[in-house]
Amino acid sequence: MVKGVPLAARIMAGVLIGLAGLLLLAPLVVVIGVSVSESQFIVFPPQGFTLNWYRAATTSPAYLSAAWISLKLALAVMVLATLIGGAAAVALHRRALPGSDLIGGLFLSPLVLPTIIFAIGMVMLWSQLFGPVSFLTLVIAHTVIALPYVVRTTLAVLADSDPFLEEAARTMGAGRMQRLFRVVLPQCMPGLAAGAFFAFNISFDEAVLSLFLRTPTLQTLPVQIYGQLEFSPDPTVAAVSTIMIIATILIMALIDRFLGLNKVVH
Amino acid sequence: MRGVMTDRSENSLLLLPGLALLILGFLLPIIRMLALGVAGPDGLTMSVYAKVLGDSFYLGIFWRTIKLSALITLVCALLGVPLAYIIARSGPRLRFWLLVIVVLPLMTSVVIRTFGWMVMLGRSGIIPVGLRDLGVTSRAVSLMHTETAIVLGLAQVLLPFMVLSVLGVILRIDRRLEEAARTMGASFFGTLRHVVVPLAMPGIVAGSLLCFTLSASSFVTPSLLGGSRIQVLAASIYAAVTQTLDWPFAAAQAGVLFAGIALVLIPYLRLSGASRG
Repeated sequence: MVKGVPLAARIMAGVLIGLAGLLLLAPLVVVIGVSVSESQFIVFPPQGFTLNWYRAATTSPAYLSAAWISLKLALAVMVLATLIGGAAAVALHRRALPGSDLIGGLFLSPLVLPTIIFAIGMVMLWSQLFGPVSFLTLVIAHTVIALPYVVRTTLAVLADSDPFLEEAARTMGAGRMQRLFRVVLPQCMPGLAAGAFFAFNISFDEAVLSLFLRTPTLQTLPVQIYGQLEFSPDPTVAAVSTIMIIATILIMALIDRFLGLNKVVH
Repeated sequence: MRGVMTDRSENSLLLLPGLALLILGFLLPIIRMLALGVAGPDGLTMSVYAKVLGDSFYLGIFWRTIKLSALITLVCALLGVPLAYIIARSGPRLRFWLLVIVVLPLMTSVVIRTFGWMVMLGRSGIIPVGLRDLGVTSRAVSLMHTETAIVLGLAQVLLPFMVLSVLGVILRIDRRLEEAARTMGASFFGTLRHVVVPLAMPGIVAGSLLCFTLSASSFVTPSLLGGSRIQVLAASIYAAVTQTLDWPFAAAQAGVLFAGIALVLIPYLRLSGASRG
């Protein structure tokens, strides 16, 4: 903090951190609490302690199949978004093509354009051209919204990289492919890794596209949870949610390791 | 390879998969959706839009959506702007943990966060029970299916967007400007008001526009917390697509949303472009 911060400001900062922390974390804490409560109703603060709901969640065929679909989907999206977004970021960073700014804007546009508008368009277009939606539809849709994250993290890393390394490699006679894979790719690595985990996380947690593109046999974990919440939530939903929260914490730790949380803000 | 491939073709090849995906898998669906709202049996028609915009029920939904989004944006700004300043000016350790508090909820599924609010706002939830115990209400009244629930839930979902937008700008403010103001006799709060806030304004405006558009277009949180009685625009679109299967009607409502969002987003893109360059 700047030197000479008055006591009143320090107290206000403390109160504000407390208030914001409460607002931001309370929903997560409550869900975790419900998941270990012995009561078969949704209650918070939890009564007693049990892991029975986790047993129920991990043996439920509905949740298991949803988890399997979510996992396959998130992995496919992670690979596709990282390859496509990473390649695009390298080209965008060089700013050599005409209209680079416009193209860069297009690559980031899924971040700001509301997902619901894209979701409706996707359902309508796909069912008109190809019939019922499938796993592939979800892969494409999720890759589109995960792409900006990979582009951003990779661009952030490239912005800090040494622009003369590639030039030096060229002068020393390195071929095009050699330069791309031996010089540019290693420089991008932390950004690509962070972007890949973001892409996994976006797909794994995404609910809007998955709700619009669901079929009776194609329900991701968030869709399954949404259905339970609409109908009759029980502590099993809380157990599944807690497992997803833990997965999110792990992914965040990985992103912090590869890129640093500070960089994410940039 | 020399002579076979130019720099230009290498860059084009690198961009090609992404461009193809975004044009075919993103722009085309959106164009298709917008077209459906104006497609009549013979050529263009505005009849579906007229139906949407002429119905007082749907006008009520638009109005509620705008009102709630403005309220949510205000809550996010009031909490998020000072929080971003605190994060920017705190030491590395505190900054890390504050970032965790902001980013962890952001990365957690909206469905799960909304579930947390359902638990807290229901009749036996801690908020109604707490209000009763404090004597604010005479009995525990469920806050589910109220506009308050939607505002609380969405403020939680969107606060991180505000904090990160503002933080990005504040981190670029030269600290010496604040020190200079203090040296010249400005008080701490005076410096905040006359130096920090004006310089952070592009971030505050960009964050507010982002919060507004995201809350106007969200439906998971409003549908679960507001129920079918308190509908917002996006929830009404979802109902038209999945329940009544009236796609042109859904497309026209989404067209209205799109137009509203575009009006708000154009200044946003200008601002974020200007603050980056």
